[in-house]
Amino acid sequence: MKKILVADDEMSIRLLYSEELKEEGYEVYLAANGREALEIVGKIPLDLVILDIKMPEMDGIEALRQIKERQPDLPVLLSTAYGEYRQDFATWASDEYLVKSSDLDDLKSAVKRYLKD
Amino acid sequence: MATERTAFLTQMVEVFTSTVSFGERLNNMVHLLARYLKADLALYFGLDKAKEALVLNLSSQGPVPPHMRVEFPLGQGLVGEVAATRKVKFAQRSQPGVLAANQALEKLHPAFTTLAGFPVADDNFLYGVMILADRQERHFTHTERQSVQLANLMLAGTLRQALLQEEAKKRIAELSVLFEVGKALSSTVELNELLERVVTTTAKVITARGAALQIIDPATKEVKVSSQYGQISLACPSPEEMLAAAPAPGELPHLQGQETNAEGRIHYYLAVPLTFKGQLQGTLCVYDKFAPNGDYLPFDPENRQLLYTMAGLIVNAIENALTFKQVESLAERNERMVRNLTVLQLISRALLTTVQEERLLEIILQGLTLERGLGFDRAVVLMVDEANQELKGIKGAQRSERLKGLPLFEALQAPLAEEVKVEEWRIPLRADQGALALAVLQKRPYHVKEPSRESALSTALPPKFAAPEFFVAPLMAKDRATGVLMVDNGASGRPLEEEPLHVLEMFSTQAGLVVENAHLYSTIEANNRELLLIRERMLESDRLAALSSLASGMAHEIRNPLVSIGGFARRIAKLVDVTSPLRGYVEVIQEEVTRLEKLLREILDFTGENLTFYGDHDLNKLLDDTLLLVQRDLDSCKIKVVKELAMMPRLHCDDRQIKQVLYNLFQNASQAMHQGGTLTIRTYPVEREDGLYEAVAISDTGGGIPLEVLHNIFNPFFSTKDYGTGLGLAIAQRIVSRHYGQVEVNNELGKGVTFIVTLPVAKYCLVKEGGHGAALASTLKAPKGGGR
Repeated sequence: MKKILVADDEMSIRLLYSEELKEEGYEVYLAANGREALEIVGKIPLDLVILDIKMPEMDGIEALRQIKERQPDLPVLLSTAYGEYRQDFATWASDEYLVKSSDLDDLKSAVKRYLKD
Repeated sequence: MATERTAFLTQMVEVFTSTVSFGERLNNMVHLLARYLKADLALYFGLDKAKEALVLNLSSQGPVPPHMRVEFPLGQGLVGEVAATRKVKFAQRSQPGVLAANQALEKLHPAFTTLAGFPVADDNFLYGVMILADRQERHFTHTERQSVQLANLMLAGTLRQALLQEEAKKRIAELSVLFEVGKALSSTVELNELLERVVTTTAKVITARGAALQIIDPATKEVKVSSQYGQISLACPSPEEMLAAAPAPGELPHLQGQETNAEGRIHYYLAVPLTFKGQLQGTLCVYDKFAPNGDYLPFDPENRQLLYTMAGLIVNAIENALTFKQVESLAERNERMVRNLTVLQLISRALLTTVQEERLLEIILQGLTLERGLGFDRAVVLMVDEANQELKGIKGAQRSERLKGLPLFEALQAPLAEEVKVEEWRIPLRADQGALALAVLQKRPYHVKEPSRESALSTALPPKFAAPEFFVAPLMAKDRATGVLMVDNGASGRPLEEEPLHVLEMFSTQAGLVVENAHLYSTIEANNRELLLIRERMLESDRLAALSSLASGMAHEIRNPLVSIGGFARRIAKLVDVTSPLRGYVEVIQEEVTRLEKLLREILDFTGENLTFYGDHDLNKLLDDTLLLVQRDLDSCKIKVVKELAMMPRLHCDDRQIKQVLYNLFQNASQAMHQGGTLTIRTYPVEREDGLYEAVAISDTGGGIPLEVLHNIFNPFFSTKDYGTGLGLAIAQRIVSRHYGQVEVNNELGKGVTFIVTLPVAKYCLVKEGGHGAALASTLKAPKGGGR
């Protein structure tokens, strides 16, 4: 079973994403900020990471930078309420930049794309 | 016999005392003498004026016709001998040599035998000789001799009286001539009138057919004045000719002569010099003296003397008149000068009433064309266009009667009554483009008369503005000619007078400065307006940025819960049976969330327009321009600014955006140094493998950024109390990135921070289209109609 980490400071979002992804047949890990996400990335061999950008303690951009430093091949999707960070060069390191929407089809199809095999 | 003698002497006394004319008295006396002595012939020979000869004047046989005017030189013949010796002498035809010596008397008395000669004289003067001729041999008795001598005494007395009377008459005539001349000379000081009177009076008193006068300036050899009257048959000799004719010893210099004209008529002339004290020479000349019968006569020494006397009087009068004329013209000139200077002073005063360039030019043009100003028919201002290297018509005016009623000072400030359209007038600033271009190039005025002759100067005026004569003066500002003032009187055809031109020349310097000052003033005003606008725009951007960050913050806060609500609604919808009424409710939630999300997307994710405007700019200038905007903040925090700017090539960039970067960096620095400090700005070129870059390093002494936040300073939503809103640096970085440059931070904890912005010099294209500059575009967006 593919392992996916979802990092978001909003509890409701974490719940929604995990429910939906579990339904798709993935094993889902959750983190409330960048720091927690990095801890999990360090412990568990993940297949994909979904990061929110604006989070306390450590934001998604910093977490993205560090994850890509350690595991450049680990796909990282940014799922954020901020459309404009798309132009931020720091976000260009991510594999996909998704603006959060109540319709999770975009997210799910992106995940599927990266976890095809 | 005694009775006869008494009767003779009585008759003689009667004649002597009679009032009949002298000539008649003398004739009668000669008759009486001949009758009394029963002599054939009594002849009176008068001594001529030169006292060299004796001429027959009277005869007892009646009037002496011209051909009978026998003449004896002094000492020759009986007549001459008696005159020379003043003694009574007798001669007989038979005596040897008598006939030969007195041959001439044979004409009068062909058969004389005895000749008796008696001197006619008084105590000190010999008047002539009385000859008595007889056919027979005759001896004079003592009584007869006594009687003749008595008669001769009376004759001499009568002659003396006649001479005295003639003398007196001449004196009176001379005096009246001089009176006439004096009257003529003192009657006027007007030179031409005076000269006219001089020549007229001269001709009259000398009874000449014509008279002429000329005065020459020896320095220039030009005839200064001349005048003539009547018939002038010959040219008036020049003073030089006068000097060349050396006078005979004892004589005053003069020229006298005669010429025969084509018809064989002889013309006479007499000229005397006019000798002035000063630099002048002249001649006074008379022509053809009239004889009473209308013939022309040569001039005698008396005429000459009279002409001399007149010349002396005339010289004084003419010198007076010349002096008067000079004084008068000087006074006139002074008056005109004072008037012109008054005009100039009024124009200067009027120029002080405004700093507007256009109004100043109008006042200047009014001053030049108003009737009571300098009164030119037309005046035009052309200014130098540095960029195109040409003179450009700015404004023109022509003389108008419309402002006649106004006082000059008010008229000067009135709008131009009649403008001349000169806007299309362009003259390249080259030496071959005529006087207007030359006036600028050589910084000197030109007075062009009869332009057709000076083709190099005349090309200045196109046919539309042509004038036969014009004057152009450069408008000088310091040592630069910024334009020209051109005036002409083409409309009325009056010549340009010297004084107004002189005033205009003086005035053009002042006008140049005034116009230049106005120009500078308007430039400063425009710059000031632009600065205010930029500052306003910057503040506006700041405000917009804050507002935008607030709005986006709120929108984002809403988006997260919406995702949860919508997401779970979808999940519920999947679980609820299609037929359940709950299904409908959930779908409503779902649809409403979708609608809200769509709205948010439109607000937050809109793609901004392309707002960059690239050009080549001087980085140092951008720095200076931006510093101006924060100067007040820097001053209020007592921040010292140190600049070390290197000369560098121009940078290809969007100046407005780079200014925004610098502005943000300055703002951060000044906020970090609110207790005061030093802001150091350094620019320097940087050479890299991929080309030339320019760097600006902005250092503050604000203590530096705490290490724990340093990595976050470019985060748009990161901010510390000390270093601004956070957004500022994020924007700066965004802009610099877009220019393919970098922002580096050099943090020295406890000291301060240096931000180093490095930008490539070369032309790069805009960053790829699409994602960039969207959200932040709103903060950088220029106000609508910004004109860029």
